[in-house]
Amino acid sequence: MSQRVVHYEIDAKYDATKQTIDATEVLTYHNLTGQALDHFPFHLYLNGFQPKATWVREAKLIGNRDTSYAKWEDKEHGAEEIKSFEVVGQGDLTKDLQFIQPDDGNKDDKTVVDVRVPKAIPPGAYVQFKIVFHDQLPETQARTGWKRDFVLGGQWFPKVGVWWQGAWNCHQFHATTEFFADFGVYDVKLTLPQNEIVGASGVKVGEVNNPDNTKTLTYHGDDIHDFAWTASPRYKVKDDGVFQGQMGPVKLRIMMQPGHWKQVDRHERITIQTMEQFEKRYGPYPYKTLTVVDPEPDSAAGGMEYPTFITGDSSWFMPQGFHLPEVVVEHEFGHQYWYGMIATNEFEDAWMDEGINSYSELKVLDSIFGPDTSVINLGGMTLGEPGFQRLSYISAASLDGMSQKAYEYYSFGSYGAITYGKTASVLLTLEGIIGKDTMDRAMHAYFMKYRFSHPTKEDFLKTIEETAGKDLRWYFNQAVYGTQVLDYEVMRIDSFPVNWYEEQKGMGKKDDKDAVYKSTVWVHRKEDFIMPVELEIHFANGERIREHWDGQARWTKFSYERKGKIESAEIDPDHKIYIDRDNFNNSRMAESNGKPARKLAHYWLFVTQWMGQALAWWGV
Amino acid sequence: MQTLLSERRDDRGLLTGGASVMFHNFRYIVWLFVLNLILGWFGIMAFAGQAHGTLDQSLYADRLVHGFDLAVLFELLARPEARPLASSTEGALCLIVVFFLATAVFLPGVFQGYASTYRLPRDEFFRACGKSLWRFIRLLLVAGLVMGIVAGLLFAAHGGLVKKAGDSTNELLPFEVKIAMLAIIFLVMTAFRIAFDLAETDVVLNDQNAVRKSIASGFRHMWRGLGRLLVMYVVITIVAAIVLVAGLWAWVSLVPAENLLRAFLVSQLTLLLLLIPRFWQRGVAVVYWQQRMLVPVVAVEPLMPEPVSPPAVVEPLPSPVIPAVPPTPDC
Repeated sequence: MSQRVVHYEIDAKYDATKQTIDATEVLTYHNLTGQALDHFPFHLYLNGFQPKATWVREAKLIGNRDTSYAKWEDKEHGAEEIKSFEVVGQGDLTKDLQFIQPDDGNKDDKTVVDVRVPKAIPPGAYVQFKIVFHDQLPETQARTGWKRDFVLGGQWFPKVGVWWQGAWNCHQFHATTEFFADFGVYDVKLTLPQNEIVGASGVKVGEVNNPDNTKTLTYHGDDIHDFAWTASPRYKVKDDGVFQGQMGPVKLRIMMQPGHWKQVDRHERITIQTMEQFEKRYGPYPYKTLTVVDPEPDSAAGGMEYPTFITGDSSWFMPQGFHLPEVVVEHEFGHQYWYGMIATNEFEDAWMDEGINSYSELKVLDSIFGPDTSVINLGGMTLGEPGFQRLSYISAASLDGMSQKAYEYYSFGSYGAITYGKTASVLLTLEGIIGKDTMDRAMHAYFMKYRFSHPTKEDFLKTIEETAGKDLRWYFNQAVYGTQVLDYEVMRIDSFPVNWYEEQKGMGKKDDKDAVYKSTVWVHRKEDFIMPVELEIHFANGERIREHWDGQARWTKFSYERKGKIESAEIDPDHKIYIDRDNFNNSRMAESNGKPARKLAHYWLFVTQWMGQALAWWGV
Repeated sequence: MQTLLSERRDDRGLLTGGASVMFHNFRYIVWLFVLNLILGWFGIMAFAGQAHGTLDQSLYADRLVHGFDLAVLFELLARPEARPLASSTEGALCLIVVFFLATAVFLPGVFQGYASTYRLPRDEFFRACGKSLWRFIRLLLVAGLVMGIVAGLLFAAHGGLVKKAGDSTNELLPFEVKIAMLAIIFLVMTAFRIAFDLAETDVVLNDQNAVRKSIASGFRHMWRGLGRLLVMYVVITIVAAIVLVAGLWAWVSLVPAENLLRAFLVSQLTLLLLLIPRFWQRGVAVVYWQQRMLVPVVAVEPLMPEPVSPPAVVEPLPSPVIPAVPPTPDC
């Protein structure tokens, strides 16, 4: 399984009235870095929810998924305070703790604390930290905190950074970033009121009722790199489900809001279908449990992944044809692979977890619901995952690249569009280049080779090249490392009779079926992404011709002499390219077809007329 | 004093009477429907032009015809060329306002026609419109002000209550509060609409130049007959809601996605039928006005003029005799 670097033993007590946690943490760190370590940085993520913290400042500046921070409210305040910090054998170092700001130098940001140990820890040795800390949870932000009587304990304890690529990697908490941590073992005791219904990462190994109306639950998790939990007195739980996985049975615990109980089967069904697909496509799910949480409505706790623990997103009104719960549960389960086991650096390579996972989401949901209806299939309106991901990408196609750090995006919208939408579209397009089977094999190979590790971009890209047996740098340099935008268009088509002058003199017959036409198609590369493309030309006599263009020049033309005019020409006729910014200009017809525009105009006409009537109804 | 039975009979009389005058003057609804269609048509021209420019020669656009692929629609709207969509939306909004104003301009003629015992000639229709134009402008301003303030206060209360309900652990509560508050707002605003409908009727049919008197009278009668009138207006509004839902259902369920003509006919029929309920309400207002608000003419003893002696009869002069043969001109 994993190379266990850390062992966290946490004893925490949650005060449900104050939304605070008081805890002791014993962290045993195994120095597998190959060199002596004389300082250790720790994440204190909850300190991000303070007005001067980098997280909140960035959220105000570039946007955020949950909170606009138009005004600061005290309930949004979060804090993680270290009361004491001892290094076993080296004494109390509480006074030596130093907040550092490696990313932006914001002195008011207290999301990373560094401690220098008097005696360096030699390679291969263990060091133990004993930390006493106090948390103030915020009203849910960034998928942690409380809402009403619900709580989601995420990123709630001091967490050591990761020694990665020869240095400590411990970024500040940013509005667009997620997390990065080492694998290990977690033993967590949670004490909370007895009426709370609890779910958590790992396996529950003990439960004791205390005399003060609290209970203490004990959880154990192996080969995981985070620990999250949730509690609410109102959950309704279905925990009799079992998924028969390749490595044995997996116990499913579905925790629903009471008002969503009728959706419990939808949640369980999509969970099992997704697990089956992931095992088939990528490899086994090795854990014994999976907890699926339907979080508090209107909280910022939906759609989150932690090891063996995910949150979905739903509402009391959720028509069958609107697959939001399925999309979210599928996506978050996917993170058990792309984050949980393939533990990439989410601060620096967000596309490697969110994007690769979005690509998997697309493949899995398309196979379950169909490619054109995997997101919405309601009242004649449809939306499929490929279209959904591509739409997300083209909303911010030219702003940022996939490979940049997650906290360096132009905006939260751009971060989402590129890390999720572009990556999924780039990988789907890559599938068209190397073939679906090859791509499937590459993804399987990547997972099996790098599970329980922290792979880099190149690890992923080289795995694909090796599996495909092709040099794909021309593609990766533009799509992954670059910000090039792809847009090819059929610029013009033209046909005229070779003997056109005879017709002019009245000698040729009009609409002569035997007439030979000189036909030409011009195709144009409008943007800077260069890619070979296929072109299909349809002639009036039923003939079809396929052309291949290397796409290098700004434009090119293809000319023919055929019996029959050109009817239409289409770039990428097999629809394998998902990163073309404009699909409308990929084809051109000789005869225009006004039906689509008329249909849209008709909808707009109805709305306009109805609004006029409504205004007149109330106004006069 | 009226008995309950007779009140119910009156209610039915009002509803059927309102429907009767509305159907007898159905041409007004047809005119306004045609106006609504023409203005809507102008309103979408900019949008249609843009859509044709992008879609007409693209094979990709075909996905909008067979079914309705939202990805294609959103992609169309996301194109840089579609950004001027905002301006075409503004155009449509302007024409929505024009339709509203046109309704206001023609409404006095409609009221006159509803109250008339004969088919109102066109000149009388437009005379009524012209005569009440300024009065209606004043009425609209007062109605806009009063209803705007009331609606603003109610929606503020609605927002506050929904927010408060959001603190509850019952997820449905905010929705239920929202629905309940919207129902209250609807009822209150309908009551105001009744009062102003009666005022409009009074302004036209009573030839009332002092609009404030008509408004006062409208509110007085609205208050007196609140229960009956409100029930009738609500029933008619429910009919409108049923028409809308049924029309949309028929459009989505019965019309094949690629059949634009049938979709157009179904949608326009729905819109035509949607105009009926509001004119039915106005018909009810007119009948109510005739039954309850019409000021009775007090019988007055005719003044008997003093008998006067007949004028002396003057013998008419004999008409000049016109010669059968035109006189020959003097030479």
